[in-house]
Amino acid sequence: MLFSSHIFIIHGVLDRKILIIIPAYNEESNIEGVIRDIRNYFPEGDILVIDDCSKDGTVQLLKGMGVNYLSFINNLGIGAGVQAGYLYAYEKGYDIAVQFDGDGQHRAEYIERLVRPIEESKADYVIGSRFIENEGFQSSMMRRAGIRFLSLLIKLLCGLNIMDVTSGMRAVNKTLIQKFAHDYAQDYPEPEAIVSASVKGSRIIEVPVRMRERQGGKSSINIVRSVYYMLKVSLALILCAKKDK
Amino acid sequence: MSTRLRILLFVGVIIYLLILLSFLKRQKLNLKYSLLWIVSGIILLILALFPGVLIGAAALAGIEVASNALFVIAIGLIIIILMSLTSIVSMQNEKLKKLIQYNALLEKRIRELEDSR
Repeated sequence: MLFSSHIFIIHGVLDRKILIIIPAYNEESNIEGVIRDIRNYFPEGDILVIDDCSKDGTVQLLKGMGVNYLSFINNLGIGAGVQAGYLYAYEKGYDIAVQFDGDGQHRAEYIERLVRPIEESKADYVIGSRFIENEGFQSSMMRRAGIRFLSLLIKLLCGLNIMDVTSGMRAVNKTLIQKFAHDYAQDYPEPEAIVSASVKGSRIIEVPVRMRERQGGKSSINIVRSVYYMLKVSLALILCAKKDK
Repeated sequence: MSTRLRILLFVGVIIYLLILLSFLKRQKLNLKYSLLWIVSGIILLILALFPGVLIGAAALAGIEVASNALFVIAIGLIIIILMSLTSIVSMQNEKLKKLIQYNALLEKRIRELEDSR
């Protein structure tokens, strides 16, 4: 009797369905390496790429590699792409979903670290952080200052100590899959998602990861966008924290 | 308010209401979205017909010239209509987003069904 329940627990853990959600926009130069990395380091995860109406050969590449993908008929932005991934995960009954960028910045060998706390029910929302061990690519001075400000804002609003609040490398449990499937910010969603999960009482932790600098393609950041980003996200955080209280 | 301004306002509002009516008749405007325009037209019509209302409102708000009160009211109405437009755009954006997401989910299912045949 004891033995069989033990087997059941192990079986339960191994049986968890994990979906890796990869938003991609014009990533033909990076996406192949990203998929290969994940298949290498985390073969137990199912992959779903969301193509946000790329104008290059991203979709053809995905077809050629036999990868699961969703394809948008209009460009919606990264948040809507990730949300479509959560919708898929919710419909298919996945237990854990991992967000992983399609531009080659994230390293698949750390997915295991993100998933483990959720499998052990120690956290509901795990964020891969560059700033715990401060190793790997650390981003520019300006960006780090912006991130520190948002991190402080989140601390003031929710009492949470999260350093890498804009990290797009995350894992969530089943409850949050359902929540995010129905409610997720359309653009620049990362800091906001932390606050909205925290308001709902989720346990959020950070685990150290290393990231790479962007491999190919070009980053979409400029000054006007940065100012818009900071204003929009700060306002969103404040609204979000007040919404459900 | 001068008689000339009153006549101008009255004629203007009548033309405005006629255009609105023709849009509604040809179903180029949802009644739902035109309510604010109709209400605004009626308010302006009342002001043109009964200048006492405008003069009283101006005195109440400390505006010296009644015609300036007219501008304030008109600008106020425009701001309300613009806000409602932004809200409509936001709701439509949300609906479009959902449509595109579900379209992508369906397209995937169809693609897989066709591949498995």
